[in-house]
Amino acid sequence: MSAPLASPSAAPARGTQRVAAVLAALASSLLLLFLAVPIGKLIASGGAEGVRRLATDTELRQALWLTATTATVATLLGMAGGTPLAYLLARRDFRGRAVLSALLDLPLLIPHPVAGIALLLLLGRESAVGSVLLSAGLRVVGTPLGIVAAMLFVAAPLFISGAREAFARVDPRYEAVARTLGDSPIGAFRRITLPLSRRGLIASAVVMWARAVSEFGAIVVLTYNPKVASVLSYDRFTGFGLREALPVAAVLALLALIPLTALRTLRGADDGVSP
Amino acid sequence: MIECRAISSRHGSFHLTEVSFTVPTGQYGVVIGPAGSGKTTLLETIAGVVPTMSGVLLLHGHDCTTLAPEARGLGLVYQHAFLFPHLSVAANIGYGAASADVAEEVARRFGADTLAGRPVRALSGGERQLVALARAFARRPSVVLLDEPFSALDPRRRTIVRREVRTLHRAWGVTTLQVTHDFTEAGLLGDVAILLDGGRALQSGAPDDVFRRPASPYIAEFLGAENVLAGTVRVLEDKAPDWIDSDPSTIAHGNRAIEFTTGPLTLYTIGDFPVGDGYAVIRAEEIVLSLEPPSGSARNRFRGVVSELATLGALTRVTVEVEGVPLVASLTTRSAKELSLTVGTTVTASFKAMAVHLC
Repeated sequence: MSAPLASPSAAPARGTQRVAAVLAALASSLLLLFLAVPIGKLIASGGAEGVRRLATDTELRQALWLTATTATVATLLGMAGGTPLAYLLARRDFRGRAVLSALLDLPLLIPHPVAGIALLLLLGRESAVGSVLLSAGLRVVGTPLGIVAAMLFVAAPLFISGAREAFARVDPRYEAVARTLGDSPIGAFRRITLPLSRRGLIASAVVMWARAVSEFGAIVVLTYNPKVASVLSYDRFTGFGLREALPVAAVLALLALIPLTALRTLRGADDGVSP
Repeated sequence: MIECRAISSRHGSFHLTEVSFTVPTGQYGVVIGPAGSGKTTLLETIAGVVPTMSGVLLLHGHDCTTLAPEARGLGLVYQHAFLFPHLSVAANIGYGAASADVAEEVARRFGADTLAGRPVRALSGGERQLVALARAFARRPSVVLLDEPFSALDPRRRTIVRREVRTLHRAWGVTTLQVTHDFTEAGLLGDVAILLDGGRALQSGAPDDVFRRPASPYIAEFLGAENVLAGTVRVLEDKAPDWIDSDPSTIAHGNRAIEFTTGPLTLYTIGDFPVGDGYAVIRAEEIVLSLEPPSGSARNRFRGVVSELATLGALTRVTVEVEGVPLVASLTTRSAKELSLTVGTTVTASFKAMAVHLC
């Protein structure tokens, strides 16, 4: 007589597993619908009108251009300052690293209007820094510079976090070999680490750019005018109602597809760095 | 020359502690030790990619303890090669090469020239090791550090590449330090063997010395000594008993005739070892088996019964029970067949006094 293949308790266990699988699928589907349907409805309702408005609505065009340029400047600044920081955090074990990491994550956790108020305290005309900048001819509050500052503050931590991960994925022994082959630390970084973490760095920059484009809370405190796209959509909504806000919001949603597509392409092509 | 004077370093939570040894200029050092003993960290510390916390590192007489890796003039080959995946095979070999001609020559020597057209990611583990070796030697370093560089090669290719490394080592006078798990390789290549465990150098010296005269029973067992017997040492009153003369070594350099008792067995040896507890190490290949008591000069002879036979290709390991003490002998499979050894056969196990090492 052959031995039974499964114990008597196996059948109820299989039943429980099936119920759990169905519940998990249901919960996932509901969440997916909750996330996708509003965006889909927004684009379906106002997308075509939004694209048409691009030709006629000068204020919308200017807002989009201002959004794109300030987000790009903020991203470039974030990359310039964030890359060394991310490398330091990924490679060096030093006292205070945990504190530094927490500080860099802080802007992600505080409400964005609060971030705007904090920046206002630092860069406003009443502050020491703000008055120094003013005397140098640089007004931050109420100018595109204020938009860049707000974007940089809320979005740079995302770049640093992503870049840190990208550097951490490159085994430091690649650099070690390059050093023994004659490279200086900067040479090894430029010739080895940077190319190997390139995709991760670009993806992090795209995430930062997208986050900067979507920022509202901090910008509205620092610079209501000139208006970026997010402030314009809010302005149209409060001033003229949903009908006027819809095309602007739809265009912003469509704009978000550009970095999203770039990100997916980059991640799809990234097959990791292994010896 | 590689000279480590009590160097200590830390890699993560692992500590290398006061490691000292010397590999003279142009010689070949081998580092042996169990997994996690700090072999790779030792190479990385010498290369300068792991900073030295204390001690002094001299390369060719120059203090390199705090020198940057790029200024040390050495080559480093990791077990996993770490070829730069965004560069071609040719660019990898040429990275840091002394000249295009040298890069070409070493690529040809290691057989990496035939791989030049292939992307790095498509190479097998063995092929990567060939390219990594070519890349390190293309720089024409005065010191080469090799971390199990032949482990992914098939036996035939391993022999060829090992020979090429040895040839370049001799021709260019490259001081070489290689990590290996393979004791045969250590014996074949090494002028100096360094035994590492727990981040400490337990013993260093000529490979034959390290293998035949291990400093502790742990080292003896790690190095594959089959017979490590605990017992008591007693110095014989007769400083020059008659059996001494028949051995190749006579009482000299402070050596004395020693009696070593382990359970019911009494062994005789020559050495300079304090009276009291100790361990006797006898390598299996030093024990000769015969059906009748031998007429030779071996001082130690024991009658026993074969309890186990294990044939490993050309060699056969034979365990002989002598009054409850197992002695393992290694002889050629052909010899084992000629003696018609089977489990239960009564044999005489004999070995010379000089074959017994006390530690």
